[in-house]
Amino acid sequence: MALKKAAKRTEPSGPPQLLWRRDGAECLVTNDFGHYAWLKRKDFDLLLAGRLGEKHPAYAALADKGFIRDRLDFDGLAAKWRSKNAYLNSGPGLHILVLTLRCNHKCLYCQSSAAGVGSKDTDMSAATAKKCVDFAFQSPNPGITIEFQGGEPLLNWEALKAAVLHARAKAKKAGKDLRLALVSNFSLMTEEKAQFLMENEVSICTSLDGPADLHNRNRVFCGGNSHAATVKWLKFFQARHARQVPEYRVFKPSALLTVSRYSLGRHKEIIDEYVKAGLEDIFIRPLAPIGYAKNLWGQIGYDAKAFGKFYLESLDYILKLNRAGVTLREKMASMMLDKIINSRDPGYLDARCPCGAAIGQIAYNYNGDLYTCDEGRMVGWEGDDAFKIGNVRKDPYRKVMTSGAARACVLSSNLESQPDCARCAYKPYCGVCPVYNYETQGSLWGDMAVNDRCGLFKGTFGALFAMLKKPANEAILKKWVAK
Amino acid sequence: MGGKMKKIPVTSVTADAAVYSAEALRLAAFVFSDKAEAVIKPVKGGFQVSFRNEVPGFHPGDYFNEALNQQCRLDLAKKNSKAAGMIATKALLSAAGEAGKKA
Repeated sequence: MALKKAAKRTEPSGPPQLLWRRDGAECLVTNDFGHYAWLKRKDFDLLLAGRLGEKHPAYAALADKGFIRDRLDFDGLAAKWRSKNAYLNSGPGLHILVLTLRCNHKCLYCQSSAAGVGSKDTDMSAATAKKCVDFAFQSPNPGITIEFQGGEPLLNWEALKAAVLHARAKAKKAGKDLRLALVSNFSLMTEEKAQFLMENEVSICTSLDGPADLHNRNRVFCGGNSHAATVKWLKFFQARHARQVPEYRVFKPSALLTVSRYSLGRHKEIIDEYVKAGLEDIFIRPLAPIGYAKNLWGQIGYDAKAFGKFYLESLDYILKLNRAGVTLREKMASMMLDKIINSRDPGYLDARCPCGAAIGQIAYNYNGDLYTCDEGRMVGWEGDDAFKIGNVRKDPYRKVMTSGAARACVLSSNLESQPDCARCAYKPYCGVCPVYNYETQGSLWGDMAVNDRCGLFKGTFGALFAMLKKPANEAILKKWVAK
Repeated sequence: MGGKMKKIPVTSVTADAAVYSAEALRLAAFVFSDKAEAVIKPVKGGFQVSFRNEVPGFHPGDYFNEALNQQCRLDLAKKNSKAAGMIATKALLSAAGEAGKKA
């Protein structure tokens, strides 16, 4: 690409807006357009002083990425920013329907604070489920995802069925792109239910925490072997995905890994279990001290450093498997890499500015109460409705979207207003969580200097940028996000 | 009644007005309201912050870290409020389906 003609310089000037981070003898520089570059310290000093000449070998690439003040392609960079932040124009795309608080598992880390199977008045009625679907369709977003969660959503099959059929009929009329997703532990799955889900193109996601002993230790199921049910139905849906039929699309099932203290040090076994189960993605998720996990934190929790070590070891092992020809991607890394490499928004609501609370997602509780997100709903379950934004039966859509909690979350998760974040090199790709801040630090803004989630994200970004520096790794990681 | 009241120990720290504004100290007091009761009084050159009813483990230094965090946030808001405001407004109006509509 030809360099843009230099603007007439009136006085010596430094670079335009840039963010940076020292890493040994080099500096990582980034900007709000999502571009990044590694510079040697002396070149970084030249750039800052506005003395990096046109003949410098890094000049052309830096100019192309918007790091040279005299060579800014305003139209191109603005288009890049717009596409990277397109979610600012769209409204909530993810709608989480909590069909029941009941669950037949008693997972140690459960953030949903689920109720026992016999609990009363904790199921969403079919009528409320339909109301929730109607509400979701009021979002201006042209594509919406309705995700069925719990508790265990299969415990409320009638409401699930009603919501699926209603949503499909509504999507046809409204002309919206509709995705349906179910998050289930599979313990109550039957062939009949599976058939209905496939026919209505509902994608399936479950939890797989590793080998049987580890999975069953984390995910306590009095009614049987949680691991066995998970693996059985994963294989079932994989087999059906492999032999598609012309009438409908069968999605490949996916699984989530929640890392408890018991998982630390067992990354190889866990990843091998995913490969054995035929999964091509693993989403390594840290625990958050919310819900049951908060009470058991001393037993199952860990700090950012411990998770960071586990995460890095896991990434290294996955790359090793990739080099040996095994297809496996880590989901969080993939989403971060999509931002870094492709300047695309992968729809990861936890790492957006502002975060996805209300403006990107809504959590619908069993009784029709609306929350900024599922984590906000869990805080509500503990008796604090700080993140409640309305009720599906009482409040109109616009009122919900402009509610105090929605506005507070948008303002507090705006990285331009966050000390530390505003000048962090990872800002173009990152996001903060007001619910996490509220639960762990007592305010929606939190204090990033001592925030474990921030430490964790910084560790992840640091690892990914370090990996991208090595050409062999870079080639593999680019494949993860090539579309 | 009529006897001497038991004296409750109070920790007091003076905050330099060159670093901390009254607003930052008040915001930090709110964040720490479940850990200690902070009473803020203006004194020459700053503010005297006294803590009462502290929970075990409370340290005034933690309160002042939060006050500093709030102060940085207030200072940053002065600098970035235009950009931050535009992003927040765009996100909220779009989500409410109001983007592009005339006021």
